[in-house]
Amino acid sequence: MQPQNNRRPGELAFALFLAGFSAFLLYTAYGISGFEALSAPGAIPMAATAAMLITAGLVVVQTLRKPAAGLGFWRFVLPPIVVVVMVGLLAFAAVLKPLGFLPVSALFLVLTIKLLSRRGWGYSVAIGLGCLLVIYLTFRVGFSVLMPPGIVPEGEMLAWFRGLLGGGR
Amino acid sequence: MAEAFWAFATVFTQLDLLGLVALGTFAGIYIGAIPGLSVTMAVSILISFTFAWDVYPAISLMIGIYMGGVYGGSRTAILLNIPGAPSAIATALDGYPMAQKGDAGVAIGVTTVMSFFGGLVGILVLAVAAPVIADFALRFQPRDYMLLALLGILLVGSLSGGSLVKGIFAGALGIGIGSVGMDPLTFTERFTFDFPVLRQGVSFIAVMIGLFGVSEALMQLRHLDTPIIKQKIGRIVPSWGTIRKHLPLSLQTSSIGVIIGALPGTGGDIAALLAYDHAKRVTKNPEVPFGQGAMEGLIAPETANNAAVGGAFIPMITLGIPGDAVTAIMIGALFIHGLNPGPMLMIDQPDMFWFIVGALFTANVFMLIFGLTGVRVFTKIVEMPRAVLIPLIMLLSIVGAYAVNNSVTDVYWMLGFGVFGYFMKQYDYPLGPVVLGVILSRLLDDNWRRAIISVRESVPGFMAGVLGSPLSTVLFVSVILIFVSQTPLWGWIKRRVT
Repeated sequence: MQPQNNRRPGELAFALFLAGFSAFLLYTAYGISGFEALSAPGAIPMAATAAMLITAGLVVVQTLRKPAAGLGFWRFVLPPIVVVVMVGLLAFAAVLKPLGFLPVSALFLVLTIKLLSRRGWGYSVAIGLGCLLVIYLTFRVGFSVLMPPGIVPEGEMLAWFRGLLGGGR
Repeated sequence: MAEAFWAFATVFTQLDLLGLVALGTFAGIYIGAIPGLSVTMAVSILISFTFAWDVYPAISLMIGIYMGGVYGGSRTAILLNIPGAPSAIATALDGYPMAQKGDAGVAIGVTTVMSFFGGLVGILVLAVAAPVIADFALRFQPRDYMLLALLGILLVGSLSGGSLVKGIFAGALGIGIGSVGMDPLTFTERFTFDFPVLRQGVSFIAVMIGLFGVSEALMQLRHLDTPIIKQKIGRIVPSWGTIRKHLPLSLQTSSIGVIIGALPGTGGDIAALLAYDHAKRVTKNPEVPFGQGAMEGLIAPETANNAAVGGAFIPMITLGIPGDAVTAIMIGALFIHGLNPGPMLMIDQPDMFWFIVGALFTANVFMLIFGLTGVRVFTKIVEMPRAVLIPLIMLLSIVGAYAVNNSVTDVYWMLGFGVFGYFMKQYDYPLGPVVLGVILSRLLDDNWRRAIISVRESVPGFMAGVLGSPLSTVLFVSVILIFVSQTPLWGWIKRRVT
């Protein structure tokens, strides 16, 4: 990770955001216990956020000194495909609980594989559902990790499956 | 002596115990490799259904999982840049670049053999020097732990790539993230902004998976059209020449692992990071630069984290103090079976001590066997098309983050850190120091406050304590020297001296 000599699009804005965020956190850390005592609960948070603010300020100065690279932000830093997947991930998290792990994961895998691979629906559905089956069996059945069932009657499904394996006993 | 030998050999002579150690090690490797599934979680679940067993079978299974799990974390760190366990964070720094060059087979082979070597050193030290090292660890005062944490945080210099300023920012941010929640000493809320969900703090696993897993997957989206690199897995077992060349470094980093592992509260994660830093300092001319696939950057953390397993058992067996979270659970397991870990265990039941040493040794051998076989199947993961691999990494990251606390909030945290990590990567902010800061924040915070309270808030009193103890003085001087060596002042001093 070598620092580049030219300022990339959005680099200054990000450095300024971090400096502002650090200042806000330092103010919040001061609010925990002020300068009450060296052993106060806010002592280390204040020291850490002060270090953040100082270094973020230095980064802003360093970034300002760099010549702008003249590249496009949406092309080189945040291409549309990254934005689409980020939105997809956020939507995944938002509907995970109400809809449940199985339908949301199936939808996410199939759509993302279709989008990224640019191949047919048959390929995306087969690969997506196959991968989901392996993940589900590993986590849910193998390690008993409880994922949100949502609209899927998962408990009944597993009981039926176990009954099938147990020969109806 | 004969009794000690027979207790040591119990595991090899009883097939059921041998099978349980093998099963535990095999399961541990895969549990350790899956982000979000921790060895601590697996061992704590095991207690619930092994408490009715005899003590030997229960301990055999748990030790197998522990040893396999510490090693298993390196697999996904190398192949996917997602450390399966905190102890594999440093492994990803050079292991993943090796996989990107098509050398995943070599990386896994070296990791396995060196993990075995580190584990062996740890077990040997446990067997020979347990009482001496435990006595040394017991002398650590809060100020020494505080200085140790500071020493760890100063590692930002070696983890920050090009810019030390950005490295310090990232380390401080990590300490800030680690401070979120209720202060354990005074129950004061810190950075909670009146949100009840923030009172329990930010899940470390969510931070780790977000920064290392999701951010990398998002970065990979920009290289969808880059051809897939075929992994060379023709030779998995490293040559004797490679092993011999790195033997001195392995011995040094194994020693670091044992000592750090023996200190209560510090485990394989800190040992691996310290060992990585040590390797970077002592390797003057690596064949490949650190951070780009240096063999030394892979060997150091892997020997150290496995050596730390033997080290963690030292205070547990001889003093009844856990070396890390897993040994804390094992103390509970021993209590359940009517045993009291501590100095009297060594005197009343030395056979238990030698049985544990034997089980650790056997688990280490199984780790080598299972580690070197099945690499081809595991390596195929990285040869999958990116269009399939990236969604899979994202889904695994979501499952991993959710599995820790069964909480969607952790998924949001993980995604937030994933997006934040993506921008940090874009603008050359290192991610390693953030995780380092989160790991060490509690150690630093708690021990600073204990140390300063013990001298009634007096800084001169604190300094008198530091300078009055040889141990504290050594740590303090090390902190100063490491800090100065990372600043331009060091170059100026060197020029003046020469």
